[in-house]
Amino acid sequence: MIFRDSVRNFFVMIELELRRLRHDRTELYFRAVQPILWIVIFAPVMSAIRAIPTPGGIPYIDFMTPGVLIQSTTFLSIFYGLMMVWERDSGILKKLLVTPASRYATVIGRSMASGVRAIFQGLIVIPVALLMSVKFIPNAAYFVSAFVIIFFSSGGFAAISIIAASFMKTRERFMGIGQAIIMPLFFASNALYPVEMMPQILKDFSAVNPMSYVVDAVRGLLITGDLSNLPIDLAAIAIFDVVLFILASISFKRIIE
Amino acid sequence: MEVAVDVKALVKVYNSKVRALDGIDLTVNAGIAFALLGPNGAGKTTLIRILTTQLKPTSGEAYVFGLNVTREGGKIRRLISYVPQEMSVWTDISGYENLLVYAKIFGIPSHERKQTIDDALESMELGQVANSLVKTYSGGMVRRLEIACAMLIKPKIMFLDEPTIGLDPSAKKIVWERLTSFKKEYGVTVFFNTHYMDEADLYSDQIAIIDKGKIVRRGSAEELKHSIGGEIISFSLEGNSINETSIQKIRKLDAVRDVIISKTELNVLVEDAETALPDVMEILRIEGIFAQKISVTKPTLDDVFLKYAGSRLETTGRISEVTHVRDMIRRG
Repeated sequence: MIFRDSVRNFFVMIELELRRLRHDRTELYFRAVQPILWIVIFAPVMSAIRAIPTPGGIPYIDFMTPGVLIQSTTFLSIFYGLMMVWERDSGILKKLLVTPASRYATVIGRSMASGVRAIFQGLIVIPVALLMSVKFIPNAAYFVSAFVIIFFSSGGFAAISIIAASFMKTRERFMGIGQAIIMPLFFASNALYPVEMMPQILKDFSAVNPMSYVVDAVRGLLITGDLSNLPIDLAAIAIFDVVLFILASISFKRIIE
Repeated sequence: MEVAVDVKALVKVYNSKVRALDGIDLTVNAGIAFALLGPNGAGKTTLIRILTTQLKPTSGEAYVFGLNVTREGGKIRRLISYVPQEMSVWTDISGYENLLVYAKIFGIPSHERKQTIDDALESMELGQVANSLVKTYSGGMVRRLEIACAMLIKPKIMFLDEPTIGLDPSAKKIVWERLTSFKKEYGVTVFFNTHYMDEADLYSDQIAIIDKGKIVRRGSAEELKHSIGGEIISFSLEGNSINETSIQKIRKLDAVRDVIISKTELNVLVEDAETALPDVMEILRIEGIFAQKISVTKPTLDDVFLKYAGSRLETTGRISEVTHVRDMIRRG
């Protein structure tokens, strides 16, 4: 009974997010500005310098497009936690907790809803990359798989922000914390440059940085076609999601009190 | 008679410091409208949050329709609906969509959904604006939508935390008319918190007065008002002070039932003001106390509150504050 309620709750949260997006997509357009700047300005400049060796000698812009794509969806998911704080201020969270679904379903459902936004964000960025003549692998199955990975990893990142939000009592504080989480994840990942170029300490961090695994999987599926790391990437993302969902569910208690 | 809410020696302490509930004992029969009346910070919201299984009590026990709030929360959540004090609808989708989302969360079967939602919208007079975004609604419309959400399922008990906060009198009236007929039609128990005495007075069958985490008195509005006497003579004493001996003298008068002093007011509770007034006036004259204004009123729940909790229910500042907060939230 609880299980059925919980599964239903999960899908309702996804539907809710789609309905919100149907009414207002402004956030997505504004959030797309940043990755587009990376692709349109940063990438051509860095390519001209030829300072970054890319695997298989692919153009730098092709290499970094999945990186900035994941960066933008991760940003979006992390800031999705803000919405949870907002919902604590208002009574929505309290009301959701008094429904028959389990608390965990509410946490996971709210987190995964950020994946809906992330997918739409990706769909805005990709055409810009195409205009910049980034060569994607023309394989629909790969493409869909990449977006499924983006969807599920976004849930984990949103859960990070739920955990952080449970410590923060105000939105203003959360804005600062949001940046403090995102920037290290981004720069100490393989989003902008291959891990091999990094100093040892950053290499070690990158090995436990969930963003590196997501970028690696999506880059393999969309650009390089090298899927040799895919099983490890998928396992890492699955562990990341499960651990974060559990921690978020526990810290959720603090949010309610 | 079936018991809807049964609370025994309930204590809630936040952060091992703040004692929000300090030993509450309370029984509420099923099918009535029950008001928990008290000022801000009295513990009303904490009690509702414990009964709706959001918070765990520090000690003591609470039951909703015989189910323990700590151990049988899942079963309780199937029987109840709840409107929190804060805004609890999504503003970036329409009113209809809000109800649709909640109808799905509550598991209302798809073939009944549309009818149920339409009934709830109709009942709260929101049919016209059902497809507008909630961010375009007025404060009163938002509150009505929230109550419509709580009406989607026919709960055994509805918990309403300050249901009409920030509403103008006409919106308040609509809300209560609908709640009352909903209660009658489906035999729903309505358990609400309020700091508006008029709301408790007009719309509840039973009232419990709560102050500083304790129930100080309970009964119907009539019983409570009757308990303090037939009439109240109020002397306004701006700038005057009154000493204890004068109070004792007044208290000793046969016609006087009690004397209550608030900041600038001397309230004398009597059976009949016309016969008691001359004697009281005489004492004040002898003691050299000058009253700027004298008024005679029937007791209100505010007077009841003053007698049992020792202060007046100060409402005005609080209402404007909450209205302001709700507006801020709506603007996001």
